[in-house]
Amino acid sequence: MPLSRFRRDPDAGVLAGVCAGIARTLGVDPTLVRLIFALLALAGGAGILLYLALWAYDVRRSPWVVGALGVVAVSLVLRSLGFSDRVVLGIALVVGGLVLVWRGGGFRAHDATGSILGTAFAAAGAILVLSRGGVHAAALTPGAIAGSLLLVGGPWLWRLAQDRDVERTARIRTEERADLAARVHDSVLQTLALIQLHADDPRKTAAYARRQERELRSWLYGDRDLAEESLATLLAGAAADVEELHGVRVELASAGDAAADEPVRALVLAAREAMTNAAKHSGAAEIDVYAEATEERVAVFVRDRGAGFDPDAVPAERRGIAESIVRRMERAGGEATVTSTPGGGTEVELSVPRSAP
Amino acid sequence: MTRRVVLVDDHHLFRSGVRAELGDAVDVVGEAGSVEEAVPLIKELDPDVVLLDVHLPDGSGDAIINAVAPARPGVRFLALSVSDAAEDVIGVIRAGARGYVTKTISGDELAAAIERVAEGDAVFSPRLAGFVLDAFRSGERVGGDAELDELTPREREVLQLIARGYLYKEIAGRLSLSVKTVESHVSNVLRKLQLSTRHELTRWATEHRLA
Repeated sequence: MPLSRFRRDPDAGVLAGVCAGIARTLGVDPTLVRLIFALLALAGGAGILLYLALWAYDVRRSPWVVGALGVVAVSLVLRSLGFSDRVVLGIALVVGGLVLVWRGGGFRAHDATGSILGTAFAAAGAILVLSRGGVHAAALTPGAIAGSLLLVGGPWLWRLAQDRDVERTARIRTEERADLAARVHDSVLQTLALIQLHADDPRKTAAYARRQERELRSWLYGDRDLAEESLATLLAGAAADVEELHGVRVELASAGDAAADEPVRALVLAAREAMTNAAKHSGAAEIDVYAEATEERVAVFVRDRGAGFDPDAVPAERRGIAESIVRRMERAGGEATVTSTPGGGTEVELSVPRSAP
Repeated sequence: MTRRVVLVDDHHLFRSGVRAELGDAVDVVGEAGSVEEAVPLIKELDPDVVLLDVHLPDGSGDAIINAVAPARPGVRFLALSVSDAAEDVIGVIRAGARGYVTKTISGDELAAAIERVAEGDAVFSPRLAGFVLDAFRSGERVGGDAELDELTPREREVLQLIARGYLYKEIAGRLSLSVKTVESHVSNVLRKLQLSTRHELTRWATEHRLA
């Protein structure tokens, strides 16, 4: 019976409402419960004791009261069934002792007095029952001892395992905290110091903040193995470098990824050049980069919303950069297209065919 | 008409930053820093748009949407996030947010995004567009509703241009469409994103992170 849910029901009861309460808790007919209690009362008064026990429990919700009175009640029942006093006392001691051990949580508990006392009771009870002698009891002895050991040792082992888990969790947590502190100290605090030093240089402070953001983010959310190079990781690295060197924001979006073979490496280098170009000459504060790997090709789009230029009247300097990008892509077996209008920004489209896997 | 906006973010500093960035473009009628604060506030104020951080101390943004949407169907949600894990972003969109933008968005762009969401259109950041293209890649479909599980070539084109950093107006110019048509393509994609059972959506979100 779920003891914690038990409540007396004095309104529906005949005496104090204990039977009515049990009936309600269990969802049975109260008359049936009353009948059982009456029968138990005939067994040496056990029913009366049990009734008092539950009543007391409802008044002062202490499991000890109901436990102690319950043990006495069971003893009375056993006696009335014809067991000798010795056996009844033995069983009562064993049961009471085991209850003490279980409730105490074993010997690793902060206060093991209850467990020690319980084991002593149980042992005394077992000796009382078994020492009655005879072949019958002797045959039972090994099993009884094994069972007792398990019952007594069980909670202790369980407690031990739990403590180990708690210790392990605590250790992991401490390590995580130390790791976090180290990272915050090494990078975040350093960056904040740098930002304060260069507060008069907005480009520099923005670049510091951005780099820190990236670092923290890759640590918090990063799940890509950075050692494994791919289109996405190489391009993210190139974008980070350009941001840091030139103080612009690079917004990176991607769909799909590709292995870092030679053409892809050339593509990333060309994209890096295009980003640098945009950062240095367009005047835009932000560059959008989109990488797309399909079955046919790998493409990177580098777009700025800056000054732009007239492709037919390109200053020599810009022509040089554009040409170097185009040549690089041609050598890698791909192509590059530069689209630009004065005042409308520039977009460089770079692509290489997808090599056979 | 000035849109009435509620800001939900657990960082006070960030909220005041957004407020300052938005200036007079919208009317920030309320602020909240947690799910517990936000739900009654939004129900009471009934704003046009709620700017929603996907990660809050006592839950995620979709908890707010789920709690508010049945009582206030007119309220629209725009997720504003500093690149959280993809499963959170996708969660908030599938719960009913009409878009997702990153916190580094400029004040003007944010005001435009709020206006767009208030009118019932969708707003995708380039990164989200990239994700959607990836998740809806052709040839990987298994079962489900074909209409919801595939993007049309036109929708694909529009998303590609968003990923490349183009504004709706520029996309309309490039594809010789009206801005309204571009908007309706994006809204369609949002609907597919919310309703599709495509397994890439969940698989992708757990494998990758929208960092």
